[in-house]
Amino acid sequence: MTAMKTIEENLKKEARRLLESGEVAVVIAYGRGFDENHPMPCAITKAEETEGLVFNEYCTFNLARYLPKYPPKTRIAVALKAADSRAVVQLIQEEKVRREDLVLLGIPVTGMKDQKTGETIDNRTTCNMANPVLFDVLLGDEIHGFKGGSPYDVLEKLESMSEDERWAFWEKEFEKCIRCFACRKACPMCYCDPCFMDASRPRWADKSPTPDGHLMYHLTRFYHLAGRCVDCGECSRACPVDIPLYLFHKKVAKECEAMFKQSAGMRIEDKPAMVNYGNQDSDEMLR
Amino acid sequence: MDFEPKILGIACNWCTYTGADLAGTTRLKYPQNVRTVRVMCSSRINPSFIIRAFQLGADGVLVGGCHPGDCHYGTGNLYARRKLAVTKKILEFAGMNPKRFRVEWISASEGAKYAQVVEEFTGDVKALGPQTTFKIKKD
Repeated sequence: MTAMKTIEENLKKEARRLLESGEVAVVIAYGRGFDENHPMPCAITKAEETEGLVFNEYCTFNLARYLPKYPPKTRIAVALKAADSRAVVQLIQEEKVRREDLVLLGIPVTGMKDQKTGETIDNRTTCNMANPVLFDVLLGDEIHGFKGGSPYDVLEKLESMSEDERWAFWEKEFEKCIRCFACRKACPMCYCDPCFMDASRPRWADKSPTPDGHLMYHLTRFYHLAGRCVDCGECSRACPVDIPLYLFHKKVAKECEAMFKQSAGMRIEDKPAMVNYGNQDSDEMLR
Repeated sequence: MDFEPKILGIACNWCTYTGADLAGTTRLKYPQNVRTVRVMCSSRINPSFIIRAFQLGADGVLVGGCHPGDCHYGTGNLYARRKLAVTKKILEFAGMNPKRFRVEWISASEGAKYAQVVEEFTGDVKALGPQTTFKIKKD
């Protein structure tokens, strides 16, 4: 049995046990889409529905996205890969979900595939981790000796450019935007209601897709995710016009790590960097 | 004709704005390029203000606040420092020249420092020329 199949079997077994014992009210995991290569996120509430759960290399979605939608005290079990578990840690830090409401089903996995292209996801577009940072039950064998390298190597090319070249790059990328908000919808940390883009007073950007509106939307979203982005890469995969949003998110995360000595979603005791300050902060960061 | 930059100044009510007032009442000379907006605290500044200012054609943005530790509200400028630092990194990575954005801590008694910062910054921005990066192109 392959590692993926083992995880699927364990997922079904664990989901059944949790629902039958009444330990959780809902299990959020992956279900079958229109074919094997297009699984979808699904939430089940009955033990007999567990047979419909699947797990394969196309199950890329970050399921932490759905957690803040449930009212507090709903007992939820959720299947999490490495980056997804970081998102849960971050949500717990931000008091959007409560640790005691959650049963975390950790999935150690590498080599996931993109649903759009069918190719293995370039791990330079993600946080490049194999094991979840926080879990209650591990559904597969922990992966040892996985060497991902620094997740920030991919930035070198852009960092070495001059400002004008970088602007030319981003101007071209943002121009493709159709303002479908798929990045916002896919992001586990984008839970604001209403989002600043939907607010009409002040109206930060035109409702219609205009280049200046794209710039305002993307730059402000990068700022809003500063110190919070867990680098799951879902925004870039969700993007229908393939804007490499992960590059910008990685850059902001890298700078935040350098300045605030803290990575998003790694430790449950941390306070989110942007609603905190430290004694070691200096004016150097403003230079 | 010489290029006169338009600079948005955002000053905190308790320190920098009062410092600017002091620079005026002591009749210090400094360039008139800064249009100052008063906010109650530097942490009130939404980074979108800065992006918006550049989009609307500001050639530079100068933010002034109390010295760290001297905030009227205790810790406001300590948060602001982190926020504005990240803002600067974002502007830089998007392709804006970071020299167009400056944060200074100027207390209410530092009228001379205010005049000096404004003079320096205006000179810097003048040397860079008009800002066209984020400016909305109207056809």
